[in-house]
Amino acid sequence: MKNTMGVELTPAEASLVECYERLATTLREEGGHLPPFARRNATKALAALWQVANGLDMEPGQLYAVGA
Amino acid sequence: MAESPYWNPAHETMPRDQLEALQLRKLRNLVEWADARVSFHSKRLRDAGVTADSLGSLEDLRRIPFMTRDQWMQSQLEAPPYGAILAAEPEGAIRYHTTSGTTGKTPIRVLDSMKDWEWIAEMWCYGLWGFGVRPADVAFIAFGYSTFIGFWGLHYACEKLGALVLPGGAMTTDVRVKTIMDMGATVVASTPTYALRMAQEAKTLGIDLAAGPVQRLILSGEPAGSIPATKALIEKQWGAKAADTAGMTELGTIMVFECDRQPGGMHIIEDHYIEEVVDPATDEPVPYGEMGERVVTSFGRGFIPVLRYRTRDFVVKVPHDRCPCGRTFDIYDGGLRGRVDDMKLVRGTNVYPRAVEAIVRDHPEIDEFQTRLFTEEGIRDEIEVLVEIPDPSVDGGSILEALGKELAGAHEGLRFGVRQAETGSLPRFELKAKRVVDERTVIGTEGERRQQ
Repeated sequence: MKNTMGVELTPAEASLVECYERLATTLREEGGHLPPFARRNATKALAALWQVANGLDMEPGQLYAVGA
Repeated sequence: MAESPYWNPAHETMPRDQLEALQLRKLRNLVEWADARVSFHSKRLRDAGVTADSLGSLEDLRRIPFMTRDQWMQSQLEAPPYGAILAAEPEGAIRYHTTSGTTGKTPIRVLDSMKDWEWIAEMWCYGLWGFGVRPADVAFIAFGYSTFIGFWGLHYACEKLGALVLPGGAMTTDVRVKTIMDMGATVVASTPTYALRMAQEAKTLGIDLAAGPVQRLILSGEPAGSIPATKALIEKQWGAKAADTAGMTELGTIMVFECDRQPGGMHIIEDHYIEEVVDPATDEPVPYGEMGERVVTSFGRGFIPVLRYRTRDFVVKVPHDRCPCGRTFDIYDGGLRGRVDDMKLVRGTNVYPRAVEAIVRDHPEIDEFQTRLFTEEGIRDEIEVLVEIPDPSVDGGSILEALGKELAGAHEGLRFGVRQAETGSLPRFELKAKRVVDERTVIGTEGERRQQ
């Protein structure tokens, strides 16, 4: 996986970015079906993982639509 | 793997050409977001013919109109309580804050989301980690925890990096000092003024701060953190290293920090901001080494996009290699040099509070001071500095005389009155100090009547 600067991410970094993307997709598509504790904790985790994706020069977008 | 001295090593040591490419990509994203979501920005961008796609280089940043506090305030008045400045619905926010009221009567109101707050803490992490704060540290935060944003972000940054936080809100100064000592705080966060205030209190309590556990002070909220004499006094009294930082409510967090090499200035967090320096009169950019006004563009806070915001802060930008730390982030030499609005014109001479403080703090016998401006005989500007010299064994007269000469020497011969005030009579401050009292009814050599 390469970032927007054309740099290849390490396996650990790529794993975190995949985590972020999967979590964002889950909340976007399935968030309404999750119980409050799961949804809000996942949203908080997503807000933190956004910093990772952003700091690794991915395009993490905005998260306001999913409540983060 | 050895521990990195940088919070984000790749970004903090990135070659300048790559850093600028990163900034350009983020700038395009920001303009696209602001144009699509914020009517305040979209109108101004369209009027200027700016779209995200039309930004071909960082030079194009200058096509974007300046954003001013007055415009922000006007928008707030027209569409209370926040103005047409939000990029998301207020329901998505988790926190409300306001400016401290240093300038202007009505505060700016801001909202942030969960992601924005993680970012706010992230910016503080650059500064804390860069100054050597680590998970094993115990951080005491001498701060009132109110709607003033102050050290809220530092609090969360300490938690994020794994340090133990001692929240120092709603405490008297003596309780704060005792808590710092009793709990073994290794890091203390406060304004420079309050760091001195706590040192005074420790002396009264018979506590030797310099022999205590504190190793690092994180200063913010006033330019004094970068005034060498003030900083040296703080470091001596605490027996600890002090780092200056600076932020603003309009950004939600800090934009500059001093690294552990203490280069006499603060690194700009340039992977999250573009900081321009312009001539406040002509709006033209000024080169490295020349004083000008900060203009900031922030990439991090999505809830309230900030594009080319005129800060009214005076700064002198110098290249990153002035510091040996290896960061490629440029530096504000001497920190924030004061505010455009702080300057006082006295009988044709410009007087800046920071310059006065730098001279006063060269006399460690002076405990507290105040600069007072008044009108004499109904027509003439006068300026005097009141100082407290608590140690009765000190020759106060010699200090007053020397101070008067030094102040005049630094201000084109302007005559300063210098008087000794009774010990304990001058105000003490916990947050931003207000040491200038302007009681003039007439200002300037032209006899211009002051607007009340």
